[in-house]
Amino acid sequence: MWGRILSLMRKEFAQILRDKALLFILAWAFTGAIYTAGHGMSMEVKKFPTVIYDLSKSPASRELINRFQLPYFKILSYLHREEEITQWLDSGKASMAIIIPPDFQRRINSGEQAKVQVITDGTISMSATIAAAYVAQIAGDYSMEVLERQGRFTRSAFENLPIIDERLRVEFNPNILSSWFTSLLELLNMFTMVSLLLTAAAMVREKEYGTLEQLLVSPARPGEIFIAKIIPTIVIVLSLSLLSIFLILKPVFGVPIRGSLMLFYSVAALYVFTMSSLGIAIATVARNLAQAMMIMLLILAPMLFLSGAWTPPEAMSPWMQWASLISPMRYFIDFGYSVLFKGNGIAYVWHDILGIVLMGILLFSFSRWWFGRTISK
Amino acid sequence: MHNRIYAIIRRETRELLRDPVYLGLAFIVPLALMLLFGYGLTMDVKNIPVLFYDMDRSPLSREYMNSFTNSEYFRNVGLAKDYKEIDHVIRSGKVRVVVVIPSDFSRRLHEGRPAQVQFLVDGSFPMRAEVVKGYVAAINAQFNQGMVSQYLSLKGQTAAAVFPISVEGRAWYNPSLESKNFIIPGLLVITLMFYPALLAALVVVREKESGTIFNLYCSPVRPWEVVAGKAIPYIGVAFINYILIFLMSVILFKVRFTGSFILLSAGALLYIACTIGIGLFISVISRTQIAAMLITFLGTMIPAFLFSGFMAPITSQDITGQIVSRFIPATYFMGMVRGIYLKGLGFSYYAWDLLTLTIYAAVVYSVAILSFRKKVG
Repeated sequence: MWGRILSLMRKEFAQILRDKALLFILAWAFTGAIYTAGHGMSMEVKKFPTVIYDLSKSPASRELINRFQLPYFKILSYLHREEEITQWLDSGKASMAIIIPPDFQRRINSGEQAKVQVITDGTISMSATIAAAYVAQIAGDYSMEVLERQGRFTRSAFENLPIIDERLRVEFNPNILSSWFTSLLELLNMFTMVSLLLTAAAMVREKEYGTLEQLLVSPARPGEIFIAKIIPTIVIVLSLSLLSIFLILKPVFGVPIRGSLMLFYSVAALYVFTMSSLGIAIATVARNLAQAMMIMLLILAPMLFLSGAWTPPEAMSPWMQWASLISPMRYFIDFGYSVLFKGNGIAYVWHDILGIVLMGILLFSFSRWWFGRTISK
Repeated sequence: MHNRIYAIIRRETRELLRDPVYLGLAFIVPLALMLLFGYGLTMDVKNIPVLFYDMDRSPLSREYMNSFTNSEYFRNVGLAKDYKEIDHVIRSGKVRVVVVIPSDFSRRLHEGRPAQVQFLVDGSFPMRAEVVKGYVAAINAQFNQGMVSQYLSLKGQTAAAVFPISVEGRAWYNPSLESKNFIIPGLLVITLMFYPALLAALVVVREKESGTIFNLYCSPVRPWEVVAGKAIPYIGVAFINYILIFLMSVILFKVRFTGSFILLSAGALLYIACTIGIGLFISVISRTQIAAMLITFLGTMIPAFLFSGFMAPITSQDITGQIVSRFIPATYFMGMVRGIYLKGLGFSYYAWDLLTLTIYAAVVYSVAILSFRKKVG
């Protein structure tokens, strides 16, 4: 049995290694794609395009404006007419307008409250909310300084007030660097995409070329044909991912690899097996690569974006949470962050491993059953 | 010349119609994806599981805990018994925040002195950690305000001097900052980026593998006629997809639509031409279907999601992200779609975007036509 598998595998390796363009793409997927994702994508709000409409034009207003600075804000213009606000926001060139009222200085000096208006572009609601929070914080700090300067309040007064001082510590990623998160996520994405696509395509190709019949008349059994397709994918994906970890994640982004790489790679091999089995299952159902591609898109896109990395699982609707249980990637994301990032051992991730293995067995058996029912008859 | 293009269009269309499974999938898949994403992709961080370690066990500490769990943002999963449990739950990911209330909490506050509360936040997913930080600060500040004014009124004083500056925020175009108004139009752009590219990705390379490309090589048809003839039927399919997605966004998801449908459709047509062009270009330069499929999946799906300005504004990204985003047509269409949906602006605001998309299409098709060589090898 292993002799047959071995010779089939030699054929698979030869087919992949022969395709120089394919090898190049695969190498890029595990290096360049991860580099650009980790480097180029940040969720922080920086250089937020802002315009200022200062009606007060007083020392106090200038002092406040001076605090809206890079890296958080980029002040594009000081406006002279109210209509200009509409123009800047409509055209999308500015995403925020800060309006300082004419009586700003007078009110501050007389101990009244001055109202600063902040208008944000709600079409980008997520970033707009964050930027508006920055403004509130800056205005709050400035308020404290004004109070102190006017002698109406001193910082030491805090000592004599019942105030709760929150001490916040962010575990595993103390500076909340999004590059750690995105680069690792992209690596796990590549595991998922490449294992599925590569194996499915290799299997469908046999159908399209008609070489599947040749394989069937050979002594090889369906299970052996599948295994011979899956193992090369495992070998290729695992070896390429070493590049990602040791060339990109660690040296470029300084992602702390806290857990055991042995554990990670053993389970990653199982995961590639599961995703490849999914690829085989799709390939046995689809007639040609175009059909297979549509089915894979339908499965892959929700898997990648609803894996729990972007959308917190606890915020998903209950039926979505249930549906996500059949996605092997959900387990793998949980496993990957848990082991590589938090440094957890097997005690914390055994249920993820179980999920991956069960789905793998299920998909592999389905492929064999369907294949036996339709093709090899 | 017209006859030749017409012949190729007829041939492609017939091939499309001959595979009813594929044709059916071509219309169902984007709708299914929109449904899944529209309902699944919530960016709102709610119901964050929180664990309390209350060493004080006083009425005041209970009140403090309630101020968190009474909001929709946090969900109480219980009380910790000791420090070991805290480490365990935050590692296992069952809990995203742990709040440690010290044993002198109520005593200090009753004496009118500040007390410290420690928050441990799971930083595996930076976006969520950032939001949690904001929520904690806001809830804590509110609790403090109540404490201070209560304390001062007990001592016979009114609440200390008013804060000299207050910030009043308003969001234009999406006043209630509903995330669906921001996500669904964005999803339209993203789906119409990767989907048409995938539709077209196999169109030419398939013929290379099956050998039918030689029919084209031998015929008098010119490269540009091949590319145009193959593009047009798929642009048609993708445009119908666009109409269906648009109807879904307005009828099912009830996104506010204030702009001109004609203008949006004109933009969509240009944009689809670009993304079909990307697929065709990949198809022309690839030698094998596997390679074409992998390039398209890797090159369109995740980049469209990360670099189009869907999640975070492009102006916030560093240079790598800005460069990548320039290569993606979604970047030029995103602002336009959000603007037409929510701001309801007319043609003059988007003339520049439309022009950019036209140039993009011209470049993609030129490159595709130039790479199509009627030569063997």
